[in-house]
Amino acid sequence: MNVKKEPTIRLQKIQPNRLNQKLYIFGGLALLLIICSFFSDQLTPYDPYLQDLSLTKAPPSSEHLLGTDRYGRDMLSRVIAGSKTSIFSTLLLVGFIATFGSLVGIICARVGKTFDTVLMRTADMFLAFPGLVFALAVAAVLGGGVHNAIFALAAISWPKYARLARSQTLAIESAPFIQAAKMAGSGPIKLIRKHILPNIAGPILVTAMLDIGTMMMELAGLSFLGLGAKPPIPEWGSMMSDTRNLLPTQPWVTLAPGFAIFISVMIFNLLGDTVRDYLDPKNRR
Amino acid sequence: MKNWQKLTALALGVCLSLGVMTGCGNDKAASTGGQKVLTIGDTTFNSSNEEPDVNPHNAYAGWACIRYGIGETLIKYTDNMEIQPWLAVKWENPDELTWKFTLRDNVTFSSGRKLDATAVKQCFEHLVASNKRAAQDLKIASMEANGMELIIKTTEPKPALLNYLGDPYGCIIDVDAGFENGLVAGTGPYIATDMKTDDHLTLKKNENYWGGTPKLDKITIRTITDGNTLANALQSGEVQAAYGMAYESYPLFRNDKYTISQISTSRCFFGKMNFAPDSVCANPAVRKAISMGIDKENFVNKLLDSNGFPANGVFPAGPAFGGDKVKAEEFDPEGAKKVLENAGWTDTDGDGIREKNGKKLVVKWLTYPSRQELPLLAESAQATLKDIGIEVDINNTADNNQVVKDPKAWDIYAMANVQAPTGDPEYWFTVFATSNATKNQGKYNNAKLDELEAQLSREFNPEKRAQLALEMQQIILDDHAFVFCSFLKMSMISKANVKNYTSHACDYYQVTADLDVE
Repeated sequence: MNVKKEPTIRLQKIQPNRLNQKLYIFGGLALLLIICSFFSDQLTPYDPYLQDLSLTKAPPSSEHLLGTDRYGRDMLSRVIAGSKTSIFSTLLLVGFIATFGSLVGIICARVGKTFDTVLMRTADMFLAFPGLVFALAVAAVLGGGVHNAIFALAAISWPKYARLARSQTLAIESAPFIQAAKMAGSGPIKLIRKHILPNIAGPILVTAMLDIGTMMMELAGLSFLGLGAKPPIPEWGSMMSDTRNLLPTQPWVTLAPGFAIFISVMIFNLLGDTVRDYLDPKNRR
Repeated sequence: MKNWQKLTALALGVCLSLGVMTGCGNDKAASTGGQKVLTIGDTTFNSSNEEPDVNPHNAYAGWACIRYGIGETLIKYTDNMEIQPWLAVKWENPDELTWKFTLRDNVTFSSGRKLDATAVKQCFEHLVASNKRAAQDLKIASMEANGMELIIKTTEPKPALLNYLGDPYGCIIDVDAGFENGLVAGTGPYIATDMKTDDHLTLKKNENYWGGTPKLDKITIRTITDGNTLANALQSGEVQAAYGMAYESYPLFRNDKYTISQISTSRCFFGKMNFAPDSVCANPAVRKAISMGIDKENFVNKLLDSNGFPANGVFPAGPAFGGDKVKAEEFDPEGAKKVLENAGWTDTDGDGIREKNGKKLVVKWLTYPSRQELPLLAESAQATLKDIGIEVDINNTADNNQVVKDPKAWDIYAMANVQAPTGDPEYWFTVFATSNATKNQGKYNNAKLDELEAQLSREFNPEKRAQLALEMQQIILDDHAFVFCSFLKMSMISKANVKNYTSHACDYYQVTADLDVE
């Protein structure tokens, strides 16, 4: 006996109250992480660079909540200090690629013709490479270091935003309110600032929010492979890489930065999902 | 969904799970198809260590040739590093310039050719023509081959000739058999059949081995540069024996399932300074401060888990030329600060790093990862040197052999080396320290040291040789041209059923005819 069920996915409206609640919770947690990364210097209980070989590989205790690494450095302090490199770098990276990519996309859509073709084919070229492999190649050519890793990831990630912004701009280009603004004498900059940007910001913002987690993982991945932060700078990916052979014997040294990555990526991903649901008109009817 | 669809899905799920699990528990039986096979994982058999193949005449590839039982030398070393016969059964030294060797009679190369003096002469001729280090060490003027008797005449008295002939480059190979793909025909218990640089080497039993029938049919040496991967490979059974494991992984193998063979060696972690005019290490005060700013004691006790000894001089304590008889700088951060202060290096901008004439005191520290604890030394030194106002910029790369050729790319090159592999002190000075040394990339030059080396190379009296070696060590230490950090206990780890996989003081003889799997 076949009873046709109503599809449950997406068509069911999420309760607006519940959505607001989620947004506040995940937004609050993300804000906490960002504040933590900004004020990491003040928050660390010990100097994250201070070696004390008499405390080498000490297990978690009341004095060192996450234990110490092989150089006797306090792991909690290093994880907190690492947030500066990991979270701050990720936000900087996502902010840059979202802004730059969107600007390129909008300008392409507005200018059109050869300019559009050349830039979009360039973007296609970047998209043709497998992302992380290309980033690895760029970082390897530039040499190690956080700045180079950020540059490598930025170089491969901006086309996504350019294409998104271009398609959104083209979609509203012929809308009556744009035509009206043009007829009212809006210049190109005012048109972009007052009319186009506010109308395409939603999808770009959602993409950027969802990208934070991915970029954090990719940045940590490059550092894990030795192409990101150089010692002794605490960065979660490189901290895991440096201590991975201690996983079977002194697991806290590897797990501490691992959990930091896991929790941060999860918070930013959940926030991204919530923002997407929040901005989805279907949920706001 | 119909039942048969559910069953199919379940069956596919089970197949997938089984497929995934085939990757686990790869504990190969020692006996495959009636053959006894062994796989050894090695972190150091790679081009980064100048062992791109097993041709003993190429760079340091002789180490692989002798280690894996492919080649053998005229003499070999006992556990106490004393010389004993191997392919030569006896020798005499009728005058200072002449050495007469009688070769072992019943030896054939893996190519089928019988070992005789002509083959050895050909081999040495090729060696000195293709290996600068060997040519410089051996100083062969001429050779004469009469049946099983080889006469070597040297250009100058060479008291350490026997020791040098025991160096891995002295492996006797059949030159006529060629060097295709870096493989050679030696006289050892195993024959190299296949090799890919930085990947693997395959060996098969030499049925005609003069020293008895080797016990294993096939051995594979796998290059696994990452210590963590090697530990996992040994645990999973992918390899059954391992060389070069990180000391931090030892606790995993200190149980009944594994055997750890460990011995003290002269393998040393040391840093060589760059004397190029652009390098900060050209400044004597900086070199002295660095020598005083490395905490060797804690490095050995904590980061090497006591699997070594702090180094004082070039050589470990013990022999007549041992490093315990010379005076080196002690770990003294306050003293190092004063040295830098007096030399005009001060921290003017308050960032903790000293400057002089607007130039920051940044030391470029070059090292490589295949010796697992070298990066730990770099990071430990980075912290202690920062405390005295020196910033250390670490370049930990497997491309070390290329980077070290550029004098502007490094200030200290921290490396691992067996200091007295021939049981004699002269080797180290002619390889690293004299002005024409083959691996003196830092261009260290001291006329007095060269003069003493000239004397050492002619001196037959062991006591006088030791005295000269001590004087030479002191010169190097007074110049702070090198900083010696630690000597290592070398270890090889194997599954408990692997027998006779034993460490040797010279760190050469690894695969022997006695190596077996039960």
